[in-house]
Formats: sequence, structure tokens, C-alpha cells
Amino acid sequence: MKLDNVFKKTRLASGRKGYIALNSARPEVPEGLLRKCNKCGSAIIAEDVKSDYYICPKCGGYFRVHAYRRIEMVADEGTFEEWDRELVTPNPLDYKGYEEKIGSLKEKTGLEEAIVTGKACIDGTETVLGVCDGRFLMASMGEVVGEKIARAVERATAERLPVILFACSGGARMQEGIVSLMQMAKTSAALKRHSDEGLLYISVLTDPTTGGVTASFAMLGDVILAEPKALIGFAGPRVIEQTIGQKLPKGFQRSEFLLEHGFIDGIVERPQLKETLSQILTLHEEKGSTTAVEESDLSDGELTSKGMEITNSLAEAWDRVQISRMNDRPVGSDYIRELFTDFIEFHGDRYFADDKAVIGGVARFRGIPVTVIAQAKGTNTKENIERNFGMPSPDGYRKALRLMKQAEKFGRPVICFVDTPGAFCGLEAEERGQGEAIARNIYEMSALKVPVLSVIIGEGGSGGALAMAVADEVWMMENSVYSILSPEGFASILWKDSSKAKEAAGVMRLTAEDLYRMGIVEQVFAEPSRYTVENLKEVTHKLASGIEQFLIRYGQMSAAELTAHRYERFRRI
Amino acid sequence: MIKKVLIANRGEIAVRIIRACREMGIETVAVYSEADKEALHAKLADEAVCIGPAASAESYLSMDRIISATIVTGADAIHPGFGFLSENSRFAELCEQCNITFIGPDSKVIAKLGNKQEARNTMAAAGVPVIPGSTEPIYDAAAGAVIAGEVGYPVIVKAALGGGGKGMRIANTPEEFERSFQTAQKETQMAFGDNTMYIEHFVQHPRHIEFQILADHYGNVVHLGERDCSIQRNHQKMIEESPSVALSDELRERMGEAAVKAAKAAGYQNAGTIEFLLEKSGSFYFMEMNTRIQVEHPVTEWVTGIDLIKEQIRIASGRKLAFAQEDIHLNGHAIECRINAENPAKGFRPSPGTITDMYLPGGKGIRIDSAIYSGYTIPPYYDSMVAKLIVWAKNRSEAIRKMQSALGEVIIEGIDTNVDYQYEILGRPDYLSGDIDIEFIAENEEALHRALYR
Repeated sequence: MKLDNVFKKTRLASGRKGYIALNSARPEVPEGLLRKCNKCGSAIIAEDVKSDYYICPKCGGYFRVHAYRRIEMVADEGTFEEWDRELVTPNPLDYKGYEEKIGSLKEKTGLEEAIVTGKACIDGTETVLGVCDGRFLMASMGEVVGEKIARAVERATAERLPVILFACSGGARMQEGIVSLMQMAKTSAALKRHSDEGLLYISVLTDPTTGGVTASFAMLGDVILAEPKALIGFAGPRVIEQTIGQKLPKGFQRSEFLLEHGFIDGIVERPQLKETLSQILTLHEEKGSTTAVEESDLSDGELTSKGMEITNSLAEAWDRVQISRMNDRPVGSDYIRELFTDFIEFHGDRYFADDKAVIGGVARFRGIPVTVIAQAKGTNTKENIERNFGMPSPDGYRKALRLMKQAEKFGRPVICFVDTPGAFCGLEAEERGQGEAIARNIYEMSALKVPVLSVIIGEGGSGGALAMAVADEVWMMENSVYSILSPEGFASILWKDSSKAKEAAGVMRLTAEDLYRMGIVEQVFAEPSRYTVENLKEVTHKLASGIEQFLIRYGQMSAAELTAHRYERFRRI
Repeated sequence: MIKKVLIANRGEIAVRIIRACREMGIETVAVYSEADKEALHAKLADEAVCIGPAASAESYLSMDRIISATIVTGADAIHPGFGFLSENSRFAELCEQCNITFIGPDSKVIAKLGNKQEARNTMAAAGVPVIPGSTEPIYDAAAGAVIAGEVGYPVIVKAALGGGGKGMRIANTPEEFERSFQTAQKETQMAFGDNTMYIEHFVQHPRHIEFQILADHYGNVVHLGERDCSIQRNHQKMIEESPSVALSDELRERMGEAAVKAAKAAGYQNAGTIEFLLEKSGSFYFMEMNTRIQVEHPVTEWVTGIDLIKEQIRIASGRKLAFAQEDIHLNGHAIECRINAENPAKGFRPSPGTITDMYLPGGKGIRIDSAIYSGYTIPPYYDSMVAKLIVWAKNRSEAIRKMQSALGEVIIEGIDTNVDYQYEILGRPDYLSGDIDIEFIAENEEALHRALYR
């Protein structure tokens, strides 16, 4: 049955149309009640946006946030103390109309300049905070912005406080010319001094971060976070398009693009930002020496005897090679999850890419912060493809090195998990200097001023493995292997026949047992007969007490003792 | 006076409101989703505006779209019906901000009554009985036993952090208390790592009795008697009736007074419902107040002769109530059965689809509020209730027979419905004798299934 135009409608009494309401307030939407999302174009209720971290409830797009709102979002209530609000904007070029422009912006925004700096607590941790406000000349960096950052950073250095800067800026301020350019140097230099004191700087990039700000303080964080989909770049997309005469691809210069290209540590959703900052801050709190491992119930009495434990002494080398490659064997991420708490992953090498064949970040081991780096195989085919079957590219080694240097700066021990068939063998890897990347890691690791432990959990394939195993001690799982080359490769080079891999394995001395006897590794951990995540705990239980003793022992050593010991370890071979 | 109402709802309630407006000479605007192009409410209203895709969140729950539709069509009031935005204080507030008359109470009242704890406190302070319970956390059995004595047996011991039935024990007598408390506390400690307990009076086999009230803007509040909604499945009401066989005139007066007191304490305006749990002992406790028109409002309309939707609109227009409490008399007996597009044989799973043929009964004392017609396709996106069958007769037994007769006539082809299931309920001895409580369906489910699908 079709019901179109079948029903009679209400007929109004005559004269009703001309009716004048006594109550003259006609229904209307008052100014400011609704607003339009500039991302999806939908009408949204302004109040909802405010109460929901300034995120569009329809499309999830992020609105730009005023500086003081941002401070409210991340700082503990009532803890913010503003600094240097009174600084006066100069007009070094005597640029016409500049003072008037500044004057009217001050009036309109209630701000004195484009950045608000000061001190606040985040979940109780004191930190210096600087927040750009895009309403003020697109938060461009003129003298006052530079000066406020420099002063805040200097004060943080003097008071030994971390610094968090929220970037949101068009870049240098044209109206102040060369003086503005110099702010890039001033802010960067102040941050360098802060960093040299071993202090933490977290940079948070928000939409948009471009030009001279990107090319100075924004990109210098020990940790660089970004909000989703923020525009981040040096040259603006329009300038690039005009210069090269090409249309830029979708997503170019967005946070996700930068993450993929290794320039930021992570993308954090606004509602999680405070929690993430707080976690990073507490992981970097200065707390005496690294030996302060929380004594666990485990450590008493159950000191693992150093040395070799083997369950299946009858297995042949080739059997072990095959076991080490089993695809249900625990992988790096399993060990991280099982052994550590508060793990926060940091991405990227800051040069070219974020190699997913290497996972790295900071975590706690029984309370103390450590840097954890793992060569990462996947747990299924899809993840394996994503992680390139655990074969790192130069970018992976450079990420690992970056995180190790960061550990050195903050005095954190480094724990590496080695599990790779070998460094990735490919065109792009060579183009970006695979050999250089491995060499650099070996070189730098040999003199790293903090304790380094490497655990070979599966395949220890050649230079690709060594680039994460120049450590104070190297440990192996019973059925892991560590060799100059894969048995297939060995047979192919020496006997011109890769099918003789089994025999090759027999002569290569690649098993944990052989390597222990040769003094290449210090400890061997027994494995359950069928080793999977199901019984991972049996191994990590012992591994954990080993790590605890390692940290106590090496944590007591000075940097000179550590590097001397590490030098000797390889020198004697 | 309101001249044009936008109905922010769909289905039979939207149709019901359109009809009331039409009778009052008020223009109507329907809103509909893309899935409801052929819905009766959209066809029946003077104007209809499509407000978005099928998903409720993007249509019937989209506040900004509904407000925009109101402004664009020049409506001066919104009737929210039930469900959707009807008890959303934010929406009511938005209407207030936009100078649109929200046909319902003030946004602040909705917010206050929507908060369970605040509502309970308001009622307790006004002297409306609430379920007695401990006000402080309890950690040991001895202290608990004292409180249990005060709140009255049977009591239920609950974990402060509880949920999912863990850490809950019932003690019927003081003798049982210590053991129940300790078992519950042990469970709580294991499940939540905490041993904080609460004690509440356990209301056994209660009836769900609710009172309809009307309140104008001048402090006049009346109640329109009760509805017994004890026949429910998984907290979904199935059959409602008025009056309830469980209420003597004296009890009705006491509960009615409590309901009026509750509405006054909340500063309530417009139509509302106070839900109580009624124990066999005659004790009753405030559960919650619904700040909207209810599905089962027709049974009250029938026994009181008052059109609740029209009263809602009059009150919202600023009119005084035209009657006082002494003018309200319950006459005869009304029963409502909710007809849902669902399959009781298959766990009551929804049964959307096209109605190929349809015949609905009529005659004296039969009322059908529905939005379905022959050839209509019930979309799968919304509530499965498609019609309400309401009957009136001089007394309960005659009303039951009338309902049975009417249900027996209903033909809805093309989809599954719960009509036979309802018919079967009406034939259960406990239903006929009026010995019902909220456990009725749970206790009769097996027998009903056996009778229907053996």
C-alpha cells in the first residue's frame, strides 16, 4: 500500500498565519551554540566540543586549542605558574602597522604574546611548560616567543626540571625579520645546554607545526610526540606545490607521515596525552643510581647459578637451527610484555623511517627504568610481512642506536633481544648504508657508558645480530643460534651447495652449548621441550632473576669500568 | 499556545502525538531517517523532514539536526516521545537555549532525576520511602548484623565495588546473616581485592507499580492512579494494566500521596511516572522517576478518561491543570499488550521485514496504537515494538477475556510476532488470579514455551 499524499493535513484556522506572538522570542539558535567543524563541515554543539578535548564528536577531527585550555588539559589543577608574561613585543624592523596589529591581537585574545610559558605539575611531577597559541599571528616565533622559550629552558636547566613544549606555529615571524631567524638558534642553544645536563625535553607537535619552529625547538625533543593528523613540515605544502609544480600526495606532512618516516616517537590522542606525558616524565625522574632494583621476593635464595642449563643435550645443531626458526616460538614483543612494566614504545630513527623490524622504548624492570630494544619477528604472516621477518633495515639499527644514546644520556641500562635471520638484504638497505649502520652500532655500543645486556632468543644472524650484541654480557636461549652466517649460506659459500645446510650447522659451532664453551656467551637458559608463549613464563622467570643480578652487578660499575670490561670482552677473542 | 510541534520520534508514539496535535488544531512536523521514508509518522504529519541515515546516532539522536529541523520548519515546540532523546537533559537544555518549548520537564529536573543516587537522596529527603540500606561502608559481620536488623530482613549483602553478581549474598534471617556476610566478603576480597560491603533490604518478589502524575507550572500536582507492569521479561515490560489488583483504596491513596510528594520534591512539571517496587507485605519503595510519556500511558488514559499527550501539550503551553485530585476516578479496568516484531521461539530475536497482510481487531473497548500497515517494511534498526493493543472493560476478568478475544483476531503476516506468546500469558492461572510479580515471566517461561512450541 502506497501512502503518498493520502492523508488529510491539519488545516489552520483562518488568520492564524498572520498571528503575532505575544512572546516575541521566536525559536532560534543563539549565537555560539552551534558551530561548524572545519574538518567535516557538520554542525556540532560547541559545548560538546569543549567538554570533549576540542575534538569533533562527528568526525573525530581536532580543533586547535588555546594555550590556557591546553594547560588545563595536561597540568594538575591550580599548579600552573606563569613566567615572563610581561615581556613586550619589539618592532626591530619598524615594520609599519606591527604595533597596532599586536595591540589588537592582545585585546582580542587576552594573550600578551604567541606563547605561554611557566611551571606546572603533571600528575604531581614538576615540569616546565611552554604552549604556543595559534590565535596570535599563527604563533609565529618573534623575539618574545624565542626569549620566553630560552628563559624557560634556562630556568629548567638551573632547577633541573624537564621541559615540555607544545608547538603550533607557522614558523618564524616575518614582521621581525632576521631577529626572528635568530630565535631558532637561541632556543636550540638553550635546549642543547639543558640536554647536556642530562635533562628531559618532550616536544609535542600540534596542527600546524611548520617553518622555523619545526627547524628548531620542535624537532629537538628527546621524545617527540604529535597529535593525530597534524600538519608538520618545514616548507608549507602550498610553497612546495608551487615550487615543484606537482600535487602533493594525500597525508603528506601529516603526523602519520612523519611517524612512518621516523621523525616522531609516537602519535598520541588528545584524551591520552596527559597520561602519556606523565608516564614519560616519571620514567625519567632522577632517582640516584641504576642499581636501585626493587628487591623482589624472587631474588633471595633463588640466585640462578651462572652458566649453562640445557634440557635436551642430545639435540643436534641442525635441530636447534630449526627450533630457533619455529614460528610459534616466543618473539621479542612477548619477552617485553612478560619481563617489563610501563613499556612505552618510541619510534623512528630521525633520518628516514621507522623500521618495524626493531621495537624499542623505555620500560621498567622491577621498578627501575631501562631501555629495551628487540629485533622483532611477527607472530603471524601478516605481522611478519609488516616486520620484514625480523630483518632490520639501516633505519632499524639507527633507531636502536638513537635509543641507546638516549639511554646513555639518562643513565639507563640497555637490554637487547636479538632474533634475526640477518640484516635485511635489499636494494634500499644498501642505498641507505646497511654496512655503515651496523658498523656504527658496533662502534658506539662498544663505548656506551651504561650497562648493556643482549639476549639471543632465536636466530642470531651474523652482523645483523652483532649490531645489537656488543654488550657487557650476551646470553642465549638453549635452542637459539648465533653464527657468522646462516648454515645455508655457509654451505653455499664454502661447498657451493646450500642443500648441505644440515652438515654446515654441524661444523659451524652455532649452538648455545658450543658458544658457551668458546666463551662467546656468558649464560645459557634451558627451554621447555616445546617452547611457545604458553610456557614462556618458565623461561622468563629465570631470565628475570638473571637480569636483576646483571643490573645489580653492572649498575655498580663506573662508566670507565663498564667500557673497559666491554672492551676486554671482545679484545680477548 | 503552541502552534506547531516537531515530533522527535518515530513509530506508534510519533503517530499518537500527531493525532493528538491534529485534534488540538496544532500543526505537526515529523522527522524521519533514511530508513523511515515509508514510515506512517512521516506520511501522516503535515510536514516531514529527513534528518539523516538509518543509524539512530545520526538521525533520531542527533540533537543538532533535530534542532535545525525545528528552526527551519518554524515549529515552536518539540515533543520527544519516549526513548531516543526524551530523557536527555542536554537536549532539553538545548531546546531551552533555542527558545523551543520542550514538551516535558525542565532540563535540570531531567538531569537530577536521571542521576540514580541524586534521585534517591532527593526522595529520601522528601520522605518518599526508598529501599533501606546502609549509608556507611561495612567491614565486619557484627557491625553488619546491627545494620541488617535496622533495614529489615531479608537483606542483601553487596560488594561496594560489586558487579556481575559477585560478592552478593542474601540473608533471610538474623541467624543466616553472619555466614552470608562472610561468604560475600570473602568473594569480594577475591574478586575485587577489597572488602568493603554494603547492606540493603532485599525486596522479594515485588510487583512493579508505577504512578502517573501530571504537574503544571503553578505547583498543582495530581496522580492518575497506578499501572501494574509486573509482567516483564529481562526488564522489558510486556503487559501493563490499571488498576492493580494488589492495591486497596487505602494503599493507592498512600502510594499516590508518595508519588505526588516525589514529584513536588523534584520540582517536576509535565507528565511523569514514579516507579515503585511493591512488596507482598504492602511496603513500597521508590525506584526511579521517568521524566517522559510512557509506552503504557493508554491504560491510564482509559481508566481516567484523560488524554495524557494533550495534557502534556497544555501544560507545556503554560495552562493550568483543569482538574484536581478529587476529580480523578479510576473507572473500570484497562490492559495493554505490547506487540513486538520478534520470535519468542528463537530467544525473542527481532523479526524485521515486510508485512504482507494485516488485520487488526476493533470494536467497543479495543484500542490499537500502531504505526504499521499492510505492505510496510519494518526496518531492522530500531525497537521491535510495532503496535500496542489496549482494551477496556468494567472489571479485570472481563478485560482479560476481551484482550484474549482481540489477540485471537490479530493477523500480521510476513513477520514473526509475540502475539501468541501474549495470548498464552493471559491464560496462565497466576495471571488470571492476579498473583503476579516481576519474576512471573522467568518462572513461567518454560511452561509458556511448552504450551506454544512443544
